[in-house]
Amino acid sequence: MPIDVSVVRKIAALARLRIEAAEEERYARELGSILGFVEQLQALDVSGIEPTSQVTEGARPALRPDEVCPSDARDEALAGAPERDGDYFKVPQVV
Amino acid sequence: MSAPANRPVVLESAETLAASVRSGARSAVEITRAFLAQADRTAAKLETYLHRMPDRALQDAEAIDRKRAAGEALGNLAGVPIAIKDNICVRGVPTTCGSKILEGYRPPYDAHVIERLRAADAVVIGKTNCDEFAMGSSTENSAYRITKNPWALDRVPGGSSGGSAATVAACEAPLSLGSDTGGSVRQPAAFCGVYGLKPTYGAVSRYGLVAFASSLDQIGPFARSARDTALVQNVICGRDARDTTSRAEARPIDLETLEEGISGLRVGVPRSILDEAGDGLAPSVRAAFEAAISALERAGARIVDVALPHAKYAIATYYLIAPAEASSNLARYDGVRYGVRRPDGDLRGMYEATRGAGFGREVKRRILLGTYALSAGYYDAYYLRAQKVRTLIRKDFLDALAASDALLLPITPTPAFKIGEKTDDPLAMYLSDIFSIPASLAGVPALSFPVSFDASGLPIGLQLVGRPFDEGTMLKVARAYEKEHDAASRVPAIVTAGEGGAR
Amino acid sequence: MTKPAGISDDSRAKYEPVIGLEVHAQLKTKTKIFCSCSTTFGAAPNSQVCPVCLGLPGVLPVLNERAVEFAAMTGLAVGATVHPRSIFARKNYFYPDLPKGYQISQYDRPLCEGGGVEIHVGDVRKRIGLVRIHLEEDAGKSLHPEGKEGVNTTRVDLNRAGVPLIEIVSEPDIRSGAEAYHYLTKLKQILVYLDVCDGNMEEGSLRCDANVSVRPRGQAAFGTRTEIKNLNSFRYVEKAIAYEIDRQIALIESGGRVVQETLLWDSARGVAETLRGKEEAHDYRYFPEPDLLPVDLDASWVEGLHATLPELPDALRERLVREQGIPEYDAEVLTETRALASYYEETSLRSGQPKLASNWIMTEVNAVRNKTGDTIESFPIRPDRLGDLVGMVSSGRVSGKIAKQLFELMLGDPAGPEALVQKHGLLPIEDEAALRALVREVIAANPGPAAEFRAGKEKTFAFLVGQAMKQSRGRAHPEKLQAALKAVLTEESA
Ligand SMILES: [Mg+2]
Ligand SMILES: [Zn+2]
Repeated sequence: MPIDVSVVRKIAALARLRIEAAEEERYARELGSILGFVEQLQALDVSGIEPTSQVTEGARPALRPDEVCPSDARDEALAGAPERDGDYFKVPQVV
Repeated sequence: MSAPANRPVVLESAETLAASVRSGARSAVEITRAFLAQADRTAAKLETYLHRMPDRALQDAEAIDRKRAAGEALGNLAGVPIAIKDNICVRGVPTTCGSKILEGYRPPYDAHVIERLRAADAVVIGKTNCDEFAMGSSTENSAYRITKNPWALDRVPGGSSGGSAATVAACEAPLSLGSDTGGSVRQPAAFCGVYGLKPTYGAVSRYGLVAFASSLDQIGPFARSARDTALVQNVICGRDARDTTSRAEARPIDLETLEEGISGLRVGVPRSILDEAGDGLAPSVRAAFEAAISALERAGARIVDVALPHAKYAIATYYLIAPAEASSNLARYDGVRYGVRRPDGDLRGMYEATRGAGFGREVKRRILLGTYALSAGYYDAYYLRAQKVRTLIRKDFLDALAASDALLLPITPTPAFKIGEKTDDPLAMYLSDIFSIPASLAGVPALSFPVSFDASGLPIGLQLVGRPFDEGTMLKVARAYEKEHDAASRVPAIVTAGEGGAR
Repeated sequence: MTKPAGISDDSRAKYEPVIGLEVHAQLKTKTKIFCSCSTTFGAAPNSQVCPVCLGLPGVLPVLNERAVEFAAMTGLAVGATVHPRSIFARKNYFYPDLPKGYQISQYDRPLCEGGGVEIHVGDVRKRIGLVRIHLEEDAGKSLHPEGKEGVNTTRVDLNRAGVPLIEIVSEPDIRSGAEAYHYLTKLKQILVYLDVCDGNMEEGSLRCDANVSVRPRGQAAFGTRTEIKNLNSFRYVEKAIAYEIDRQIALIESGGRVVQETLLWDSARGVAETLRGKEEAHDYRYFPEPDLLPVDLDASWVEGLHATLPELPDALRERLVREQGIPEYDAEVLTETRALASYYEETSLRSGQPKLASNWIMTEVNAVRNKTGDTIESFPIRPDRLGDLVGMVSSGRVSGKIAKQLFELMLGDPAGPEALVQKHGLLPIEDEAALRALVREVIAANPGPAAEFRAGKEKTFAFLVGQAMKQSRGRAHPEKLQAALKAVLTEESA
């Protein structure tokens, strides 16, 4: 299933991935070959089959009581930030 | 399980080591030193670790010895070193998942399995190399180093938990943890000649395992015997309130039941899946498979024919579901809160530069594939359809396991391949996952166990598949095999080479 | 408010506006939806965070049971179907205040569907249908620099990330800004009655986006819609919708076409403007959240929850009309909050005067509260004291005028009205001799009007009563005062 370079660009943009121009062709080719391979699923009759999004049958619904339990990880977590402004995370402006 | 007193520490079983620490015959420090020394000799050559932590390990060992001196009871892994795949969080210790994007990242919390290991008095000795974000079958996708197979240094250890498999094979650690999404514990276990267990989905908490494909990921142990594998699994399994997909049904295995033998046990053999592999299945593996069937039969098992009619669709199914989930799971690596940031103008530029530079080729390829599979207009044709096929595959397994107590099938089509041999063709690499992926999609437990060696001395493993939450039966079968064969007890030459050999 | 130029009422009449609202309500849980961090508003930046809500590698969500309960209560209160199984899904998009790169929300299997809210606009009652109510997590807060300091950076605070929200999506049943205002008011009232949301728009506990389109009257198909965001108060919602309706009509009337886009309401200038910058077409790539199990609710649990729902505004209003015999309008005002209605019921019971109690609350009490900003809970005169006062008025123990004086005194003095009457000498003057002495003084001070009355000009009588009442500082018993005045004027000559 051939995948166009423009499709690679579009999904790379959605995924916020910079793909070098020189690499686009290669990704297009590889994706095309994998998508070609998965085409085999189209031949299978799956009408009436429920999808499995997780294998958890029989698991009991797991809910958490609404009780505050402060984390001891906060300072360590903030210390790992690439850039901070006081206790805020700092990022380049959105636009 | 008493062993000759003069047997080198690094060749001892974890069970024996823990017993000796509890009895006071050995100290945790002495044991930890022995493995650290072994790793000092081989880890640099094998490139098994991304981060070693000898000082911390010795401190922990000292604390265990003090505990014993104070008369406190010690846990089932007392003083036993264990290596941890680098996608499992250990508080304060670098955890990169083999990715540049997490270079320097230190988690501020311990994974659930790490808490369990510490509660059992195990000693964490380091973080092992892996394919970036566990995506790969050779550990060649690590952004940092390529781990070598201890049995043949020009060959891959398998992946993605290649470092964890190799370090146990090389006796740098008696135990390790890996993670298995589509075979990432079982395949490297086979390539390295050790045991590797992928527990039932939900048997082990994923809290603190860096997610690749959430509906498939499971943490699993590597060890050099069936009993040791069970020993670790018993420590890490069970319900954790922080992972709502973890299950109380996952209960510890009584180790003594592993000695019961397999007389009358029904072992299902899905022969059609071998035909699917066709020419890809190495004659040595096929021969090992047939020999194992005979061996199990001799041990009293009944061999029954079973079918897994949809298993042939497993790779296609997996390579839609896993990348789709991964594309979402890896969205958090955005350079905002942790990890490496690459500034490039505005926010959008920063995102794209950070992720473009931080992720390797395989990860990018899967993010693109998964993004595509989930995107508007393709969801039904790809992701949803794959989920439906997944239902069929799971049903195949449950049916086959209703007619048998465990399944036997290959785990890898070939023994370990050469470094660089398959890096150019991602699809070819994916196709070699044909035996491991079906059980992952089905969510059932599967065990890779060493059965023999090929003519060039490369280990060959096979796979057992069990019913949900019945890891015990697979281990019982493997234990019965292990009693009659020496594949598990052999160690690669690198263990004893140089520096006067293992001590 | 700037209006798009030249919309005649004739043009307006040709079009029917079609409006749907998406309301995000923050649930009043102690902790976040998927972790145990506190939800307290106004904490120091990034102080209520943990590995889970920071989206650190390896963490997993665990659902807060109270959030499910609150969402289901809301569904039951508006007559929605609460599904026995609902499923969380990931909504994928990148934003710095969205730590995981996806929001955990519900998509094709929401917790609640259907139901509706009845609104009163003037005399018209109307039901606004609901499409769905689903659970989701809030994002954090991005603080964009204002002015020129600190340009080119954004600061991110994740305290709010993971706070539980319900998203309430209405059917496109709303036809005007005023209806939208009433719908929101009613919705907020219900949420506050249920005590599942504090309804505080300033703190962002309640947020609203509006989808607006117009179509020629009689046309079945919807027109192209725009989405208005940044609506920080119900009044802005009303104004922005009115503005946008006119803008769309003017555009169509002048031969243009409405473009589907997102607009931001600028409350200072009273205009809705297109979001700056290129807006990427959304592709949220929803898929079922593999880290959470489906939310399975027992029918018995839902029934139990239904049984324990508090009395809701509509039912309470009807009950007040029925039991207290007060007008519908009074009941509407008095049920604005559950606390106000309780306050009224206690006052009515204490005084035995349902309508008089209602009058006092709607006028005196609410006038003071409007001035001071008191809630009914913080209002200094509690229902027992107000009830006593109302009772004293109805029994004639004090005049309306004295009662108002007492009311003023009671605002600053915790004593009961009877004690205050004693303390401040506000007992009514009923003694005839005293009243006669009083009117004599008044007549002496106003010889002219008195003479005029005696000469037959009865109009001056009222003036003299007023003067006498003033002289008594309102204490004179009104009828007895009049009798005394008349007697003195007729019996006693100057
Ligand atoms: Mg929403
Ligand atoms: Zn939190």
